[in-house]
Amino acid sequence: MPLNDYLIQCDNDEAKAINQSGSPVWDRLFQNVDNIGFNELSSRQADLNWYLTENGVTYNVYNDPQGLNRPWNLNAIPTLMDEKEWVTVEKGIQQRAELFNLVLKDLYGKRELITKGIIPQEVIYSHRGFIRACDQIEYPTEKQLLVYAADIARGPDGQMWIYSDRTQAPSGMGYALENRLTIGRVLPELSKGLNVRKLTNFFNHFDNLLLASSPRQTDAPNIVVLTPGPLNETYFEHSYISSFMGYPLVQGNDLVARNGYLWMKSLKGLKQVDVVLRRVDDLYTDPLELREDSQLGVPGLLEVVRQQNVAIINPIGSRVLENPGLIPFIPGIAKYLLNEDLILPQVASWWCGQERERQYVFDHLSELVVRRIDRPHADSVFIGYQMTSGDLRELREQIKDRPYRFVAQERIGFSTTPTFIGRTMEPRNMSIRTFGVASEDGYQIMPGGLVRVAPMVGNSTVTNQTGGLSKDFWVISNKEEQTPPKFSISQPLKNMDTGLDNLPSLTAENLFWAGRYVGRALATARFLRMVLKQINFTSFNERKPNHESLEALFKAATNLTCTFPGFFSEEEIEDPVAEIYSIILDGSRTGSLGHTMSMFFNSYYSIRNLWSSDMWRVFGRINAIWDDIQQEKKITNRRIIQTLDQLITRLIAFMGLVEDCILIEQGLLLYFIGLQIELSMLNISKCRSLLSVKFEDHIEYEVLEALLNSHESLNIYRNSYRSYIKIENVIDLIILDKKYPRSLAFRFNRLNKDLAELPKAHSSHELADFEKFIFEGFAKLRLANARELSEIEEENYVRAKLDDLLSNLSDLLFQASLAITTTYFSHSYQQNQLINQNFSV
Amino acid sequence: MIFRVIHKTSYKYDSYVGYCHNLATLRPRDLPGQKLLDFKLNIGPVASELNERVDFFGNYITRFAIQEPHQELIVTSESLIERDYQPITSQYKSGACKGPTMADTLTSLQRLGEGSLDANQYILESPLIRKIAPEIRAYSAESFQLNRSVFDAAKELMNRIYADFQFVPGFSDVATPLHTVFNERKGVCQDFAQIAIACLRAVGLPAKYMSGYIETLPPEGQEKLVGADASHAWFATFIPGFGWVDFDPTNNLIPENQHLVVAWGRDYYDVPPLKGVIYSNGNNVMTVSVDIREAELDTLVNA
Repeated sequence: MPLNDYLIQCDNDEAKAINQSGSPVWDRLFQNVDNIGFNELSSRQADLNWYLTENGVTYNVYNDPQGLNRPWNLNAIPTLMDEKEWVTVEKGIQQRAELFNLVLKDLYGKRELITKGIIPQEVIYSHRGFIRACDQIEYPTEKQLLVYAADIARGPDGQMWIYSDRTQAPSGMGYALENRLTIGRVLPELSKGLNVRKLTNFFNHFDNLLLASSPRQTDAPNIVVLTPGPLNETYFEHSYISSFMGYPLVQGNDLVARNGYLWMKSLKGLKQVDVVLRRVDDLYTDPLELREDSQLGVPGLLEVVRQQNVAIINPIGSRVLENPGLIPFIPGIAKYLLNEDLILPQVASWWCGQERERQYVFDHLSELVVRRIDRPHADSVFIGYQMTSGDLRELREQIKDRPYRFVAQERIGFSTTPTFIGRTMEPRNMSIRTFGVASEDGYQIMPGGLVRVAPMVGNSTVTNQTGGLSKDFWVISNKEEQTPPKFSISQPLKNMDTGLDNLPSLTAENLFWAGRYVGRALATARFLRMVLKQINFTSFNERKPNHESLEALFKAATNLTCTFPGFFSEEEIEDPVAEIYSIILDGSRTGSLGHTMSMFFNSYYSIRNLWSSDMWRVFGRINAIWDDIQQEKKITNRRIIQTLDQLITRLIAFMGLVEDCILIEQGLLLYFIGLQIELSMLNISKCRSLLSVKFEDHIEYEVLEALLNSHESLNIYRNSYRSYIKIENVIDLIILDKKYPRSLAFRFNRLNKDLAELPKAHSSHELADFEKFIFEGFAKLRLANARELSEIEEENYVRAKLDDLLSNLSDLLFQASLAITTTYFSHSYQQNQLINQNFSV
Repeated sequence: MIFRVIHKTSYKYDSYVGYCHNLATLRPRDLPGQKLLDFKLNIGPVASELNERVDFFGNYITRFAIQEPHQELIVTSESLIERDYQPITSQYKSGACKGPTMADTLTSLQRLGEGSLDANQYILESPLIRKIAPEIRAYSAESFQLNRSVFDAAKELMNRIYADFQFVPGFSDVATPLHTVFNERKGVCQDFAQIAIACLRAVGLPAKYMSGYIETLPPEGQEKLVGADASHAWFATFIPGFGWVDFDPTNNLIPENQHLVVAWGRDYYDVPPLKGVIYSNGNNVMTVSVDIREAELDTLVNA
């Protein structure tokens, strides 16, 4: 499609605006698109979607029926801007960043802007982002505002306007980078003949900012990325930035304020933190001084900030600048602080706290967009021209009640941008988020950004929350940029000492549980698959297994999954098959495979910053397999067995990748420890259910065969013993054989070795508590012998020695796990608020 | 008069607390008519960190942390306060205080100036007093009219709250919403202060939450009991050209020398005497006692 054909359908379009200024950049892009062809482009669009999904690029939408982790949508066609125009835009954003920096400094310092009447105090004092506890806090950095983001869009006059400011923890930088890398990989020929400005330098500036912000004079400050956790809408970005920049991703629980400093809890102990790149909202950062119900922050953090012993980027309290109530006063502020006019225009706005302005708003309410000054969310935006007269009346009353909380803005038709939809180019409304970071000489602006486009033609809402599309943003230079050295994710973690010692304890705990859950998922799936196969056998085969042996397996299934009463129920279970299905599929039953799978999914989401793309792919498959069976209306044995087959294969592949992709010093050791503990526990549970009681010989044979089967050990048994299956040999193989990797003795031995590798608080020859438990268990296994263990007490047919040993081992494992938790995962102590005082008079 | 105030708060915990962070707003402010002569803060177990700062409203905030595992925390503040408020209350009869009507007040608050700038922040919504219900507005309108003296109206509001509300300890806590207190007409001093503040703000007047102590007088002929006094709260409003005037709706009186000011803010949220975050699992139980005695100067010298 030639550019002119596209432009016929547009009024105010990006391609037209630049075209008129005589710049050929869009012509060139359309030529490149023509060379690719719409057919090919649409298959590339599919590649883009696939690529992003494979890389696990997601955006979480709260209260979304699709649940967490909605795929990120990237449109194949970028939005372009000629560098000639960009220069002005860049200056405008720099000016505004500097302006906001000075405003921030003033509001928490002298407050001249208020005492001199340049900003009405209500605009600040009634905004919940103005944090009185931050009064007089100053950071030792030259700038107070360190990161700034502006949403810009092209107004009807053809100029770029600033319509929204992001100052507390701007999101989008990581998505912008990922968009750029993805387009470059999938559609390299799209930029042919276009000198697209590169993002590398900007991220170098960003890294320099983090390093330079440290209040401690050191070459290697400790920098962390603070996230609210996996449920946050932009969690993907937090982990992306963390792994891209090479700084650990932590949650509030990983940090502690003590003796005037901030510390990270790591496996080795406390480690001082100098710089926090935060993605937690202002009010949630310190439950001592700010929101008391917050579990996302660090009690006492503000005091560390006051003592200038840590830098927070951006400073706590900077949300007050995300304030449309400020907009009408910005020109006056710019005059007062900089003696400058604004370079980029802003949306005409009327603050309702002023009488004349309020009257204007009331007279034109049905034409305006009304916002609350401190609520950025869509439900606090009132679009006058879409409201009924009743709603308008109510809005008027709300404004009258506390007028200073409202600002009204002019309705503007922003420009559209060519967007590839289906097999054609459509004009869609768009806005661009641009980013600036403080540097030694002013603010450095990313020559690019994140473009978001409306989900439908004619719709001007462009937030991700309502599910829009994103685009790459290209600033086109007339000369080729020198290619700076490529940044790479795998650059050595420059300034953090690496190694297990410094592993955040929350990450360590997540890895430990990731190991436990993957082990549980695999062992449970295998056992239940075996049970289903035995059921099949019963129904289709002449040589039916004995009913009694099936019953033993059923009980073992209840034991293994702890889904009591289950097959231990006093009343007889009418439909045992239904109960087995329920143990497999019913996620609401704690212990069921379904439940284990959801715990598995959660534990892995929380450590996604450690993942490779291969892991994502397999993880995605596991997720899909499990989703499919959950949706299935008619469940058959065959279908479930097939699902379990697929699941087991994928889980094993996944485990292989975990071992392949995550380094021991990144915490793989904790994963192994969790895995071995879990598999040992389940092994013990199976053996206690199936071996502790003596069955009649022909039943015992079937039970032993089933056990070996579920343990993937039947072939090895036959290979090693070349005999009829005998209890003594089975005990020997799966419990006592130190060389056989699936035996208990092997696992205890492995645990012994792994536990010795954990960082110790004191170097001493004494074993740590958790080591003692495992060592004792290993010794017990080494001292046992199969013949004695298989002995039966005459009166009750119980193998008492075996059962004693197993129950002993089970206790030791439990205690070891507990001791590991208390030693290394100390954040499991809850934070509680002291109850507040009530007056008696 | 000189008073010695001993304010003791203790927390008992079900399980050991390994670490805690606390904020205390216990050091009384200096103000015209009130002077802090001496102040001691005792914390047990001993605090590992302790410092003091002045907050946004000019109050003294002490922050401390305890690192030693403990099952009980005891915070005792001992203040020696000279209070002679009579010269101030005596001016309440003057025209400067009684004269300004609500209309005068609203107009002069609109003019930018040092006094009104400070006062205006107390008109806005605050953490515990946000949306003011229509019933509270109606209740307020009965006392406040444009042509009426603000002092008279505020005094009448104090009388009415005293008459209409029942003092019921334990009915409410800090989390009880204002309109519940209003609808039930029950509560304690901080509720009554906050109801009054809501009434003043509803008509656009500034109102401060005052936190402090009140000396209770024993029934005639009886010895005063130790710890019988209490933390207390009341409200103040601003009269342009005159200043802030205190009212105590719980006791229906204009504070003089029985009242001692510790701190003020927009509402209780700004000035809780003690708050904190503890690292532990389990519950905590709190007890408070306050003892106010007139101090002889010689004991002061000996102390």
